[in-house]
Amino acid sequence: MNKQTALKLTAHFILLSGAITMILPFLWTVSTSLKQLSEVFIFPPTLFGEEIRWDNYLRISDRFPFETYFLNSLKITVVVVIAQLITSSMAGFVFARLRFRYREVLFGLYLATMMVPAQVTMIPNFIIMRNYNLIDTHWSLILPALVSAFGTFLLRQFFLTIPASLEDAAKIDGCTPFGVYWRVFVPLSKPAMATLGVFVFMGTWNDFLAPLVYINTQAKMTLPLGLASMQGMYSTDWPVLMAGTVISIIPLIAIFLLAQDFFIKGVTLSGLKGE
Amino acid sequence: MKVEKRLSGSGAKMRGPAPAPGRTSAIKNMFHKDGTWAFLLLLPNIIGFLAFTLIPVIASFFLSFTSWDMLSPMKWVGLSNYVELLNDETFIKVFWNTIYFAGISVPAGIVVSLFLAVALDQNIRFKKFYRAAYFLPVVSSMVAVAVVWQFIYNPEYGLLNYFLSFIGITGPNWLTSTVWAMPAVILTTIWKNLGFNMLIFLAGLQGISDSYYEAADIDGARWHHKFLLITVPLLSPTTFFVTVMSFIGSFQVFDTVFLMTQGGPARSTSVIVHYLYENAFKYFNMGYASAMAYILFFMVFVITLIQFWRQKKWGVN
Amino acid sequence: MKKFRMLFIVLLCLLVTAACSSGGTNGNTANSGNNSGNASGDVVTLKFMGWEASPLETEAVKKGLEKFMQQNPDIKVDYQPVPGAQYAQKLLTMLAGNAAPDVFFLGATEYRSFQNRGVLLDLTTMFESQMSLDEFIPSSAQIMEINGKIYGVSSCTVSPVLYYNKDVFDKANIPYPPSDPANAWTWDEFREAAKQLTVTEGDKIAQYGAFGFENFYMTTAEIFSNGGQLFNEDGTQMKINSPQAQEVLQSILDLRVVDGTSPTAKTLESIGMRANQMLQTGKVAMVVDGSWALQELATMGFPVGVAALPKFEDAKTHGQAHVHSASANTKHPEEAWKLLQFLSSEEYQIGLISEGLWMPNRKSLYTEEGIQKWYNESVHPEGFRELVSFFENAEPYPFTLITQNKVNDIITEETDKLWYSGQSVADTLANIESRSNVELAK
Repeated sequence: MNKQTALKLTAHFILLSGAITMILPFLWTVSTSLKQLSEVFIFPPTLFGEEIRWDNYLRISDRFPFETYFLNSLKITVVVVIAQLITSSMAGFVFARLRFRYREVLFGLYLATMMVPAQVTMIPNFIIMRNYNLIDTHWSLILPALVSAFGTFLLRQFFLTIPASLEDAAKIDGCTPFGVYWRVFVPLSKPAMATLGVFVFMGTWNDFLAPLVYINTQAKMTLPLGLASMQGMYSTDWPVLMAGTVISIIPLIAIFLLAQDFFIKGVTLSGLKGE
Repeated sequence: MKVEKRLSGSGAKMRGPAPAPGRTSAIKNMFHKDGTWAFLLLLPNIIGFLAFTLIPVIASFFLSFTSWDMLSPMKWVGLSNYVELLNDETFIKVFWNTIYFAGISVPAGIVVSLFLAVALDQNIRFKKFYRAAYFLPVVSSMVAVAVVWQFIYNPEYGLLNYFLSFIGITGPNWLTSTVWAMPAVILTTIWKNLGFNMLIFLAGLQGISDSYYEAADIDGARWHHKFLLITVPLLSPTTFFVTVMSFIGSFQVFDTVFLMTQGGPARSTSVIVHYLYENAFKYFNMGYASAMAYILFFMVFVITLIQFWRQKKWGVN
Repeated sequence: MKKFRMLFIVLLCLLVTAACSSGGTNGNTANSGNNSGNASGDVVTLKFMGWEASPLETEAVKKGLEKFMQQNPDIKVDYQPVPGAQYAQKLLTMLAGNAAPDVFFLGATEYRSFQNRGVLLDLTTMFESQMSLDEFIPSSAQIMEINGKIYGVSSCTVSPVLYYNKDVFDKANIPYPPSDPANAWTWDEFREAAKQLTVTEGDKIAQYGAFGFENFYMTTAEIFSNGGQLFNEDGTQMKINSPQAQEVLQSILDLRVVDGTSPTAKTLESIGMRANQMLQTGKVAMVVDGSWALQELATMGFPVGVAALPKFEDAKTHGQAHVHSASANTKHPEEAWKLLQFLSSEEYQIGLISEGLWMPNRKSLYTEEGIQKWYNESVHPEGFRELVSFFENAEPYPFTLITQNKVNDIITEETDKLWYSGQSVADTLANIESRSNVELAK
């Protein structure tokens, strides 16, 4: 019993010091975002400045078109999440439940695409976008992200666990395979869809390379790209930049805290691939 | 798999009510066939897959044998891009930088996250809080992380050197030192990915039956014995999976480097994808960059093959 | 009921493809909208791309464009700012695609490589009918002219200069560095002053003497001052490996390594503490920076001084600034020229010059009378009049005269090794020369 307590205390000590390391940079971001510029350059660093400057948050939009970036990111992310949920659940259903020739081959091939590094397709995709005049449009970010091998795989794994009896019942009622998909599988797979949804949201919201390659003008920029480009300006207003950073991660932290269990399930499921 | 087979068998039997003769029923019939629906439902994925993966993969292979700047006409140059790469001092440097980055960040990240996962698996209080704390960096964008860490690494006003000064160490100029910039980038990467790996380990740990530990308790095993003789071996499929995925991810590292150091100073943090990006979108050497992409592809392919091979082995056991 | 559902799913499946095609048409309608506008002959829309450097510049561009549109009601300018360091790359991609802007800012260092790729409109005839290269100061003229032709009109000029905080000098009782290039400090005088201005508190340095020369933009000016050069006459070969350049690099390195009067290169910059903030906070007494910094410095509420750079042999600086160019594929070359002409007019430039951001690129603005037009006492510090010849007689910035932008990266890489990891000056220069010549030969 005593040994148990000692063990737990040690575990707490390790976990707590780790957790502080994880959280401290965020706290510092928030504290810097509430300082005056001159207070940023003080040694030793202080947690708070003389007064809390909330107006740094109001000044964000003076410095750069923050709302535009935010709305662009939101629009792209929402479209991609919805599209991937639709396409991945359809394909996942097909690979889990429909019988047709070459199914295994096709699935294997599709899985294999997960291994292709994005950098291999990046250059030809860029040329495709250029040829179709889609450079510097949001389509260049949305189109390649409409389907996902990972999402298909994730939902297929989930669909495999749905008992066959439910499907049989629907078929007796005269449902087409689509009916089975739409009436039985989709309603039953809400947790799995939510898991995929939060994952796609995170990936799309935070994506940096694709916007960096495809987006040129300020009006089309996403939040990460906009934030990054703000740093290159003549003189960086650190408190304001930090305020922008804080706002940019709030949606994700909110979603994460609300849907923590889905996130964790997603990580666990993706981990199952190895077993 | 078992479920499926039985199911499709029964599906064949229950094709609904007897089909009525005539054209409409033929169409109706068609819409009760799996094949038709498989095609329809897969269509978006097939189109997306062809347009943005398969065709580009082939095109990129073709491009790697050309010299092209997107403006002048394309020139076929055979293998010379690959030959040039092998003689390109900068490429060799970024290749080894990539190996350095992966070689340190992957093992270190795994050891630390495994350690934390084991600590978190002790039926401990505040589990949810810890989990959330460690996952915070995972959900944050690399841009945000880079902004903050650049500041943390600042030699004069940064937190890191401030803390180091408590234990009497004068910290280096992290991001402007050819020696310390890469360790700094690695440290940030480990910090950011820790929570993700930890959760996968946690899932793996929860899959280990308590009976092993109970048996060990009866034998009077010490904590570290249990860890080394039960946890580590039984967790090895998970560990292996995490290792492979981390290697693949770290071969493709870009954001961290681009945002924190732009590959500098003196290319000491430049990695393959960073050099690839520069060649493709700064110098417009599309062919040369494609050849680099294929070398990267090959590296990832080899790692994936190892994963498949081990997976099979475990499957047999 | 079932059929209805089938229809629905077919539509659903097509959603993706539909999304694709509507994307295409969206883009096209935007374009054809512009085109039909031209065809009917009333209003031509010019796409104009520029970078977001400083808020003032952006403001000035917007105001200027409004004025231009008032004067030319038949031309509508659609301004698309592109922020960030990737401007040249982004612009080139757009020029390589079909979505090219008609008129754009172009960094002088990119000018020749863009021209080489054939993406710039030849402006020679239009230029010669209304302007002459003789109107421009030598550095600007030399940059603009490529084999007797003109592909871009210089916007202004900017050069590295020496800024200092007068309060800091007063406190230390040290005379200000001279503005008149004829009396410029020698390097040794500068070095001595930097030593005296370095203040130690405990084991930390509270105030550094000087900062900025390790940036190669500034280094270049000192190499010129010592009679060294970077390239041969026609920019086809690197010629930097000379005793003159060695002396300059060594002297700069010594400021930090031997004297300890300069902070570790880029440490302050790496957290965004720019020249102006260093001077303002008294962290550094003297800073070498581009002349554009004056605009912000003048508004920061401390007495700033501007001086000629310290000299080795002669007091020298270099000059350059972005050009305004048009796309070779523009459908409206005439309207584009009108805009280019406007952007080059006194009317447009003078506001930016008197705010301290730009310096004039016309000889006419360097005469007594010309200076009157832009000189602004609340911005230009005492003695600035003596400094103007520094800009007028600047050498063209050498990187504007070559076509290989990779050379710049080589220099950054090699000088990084010099400043940060102890590579010797001799090796650095030898490496730069041999590696650059491989690139230049391509």
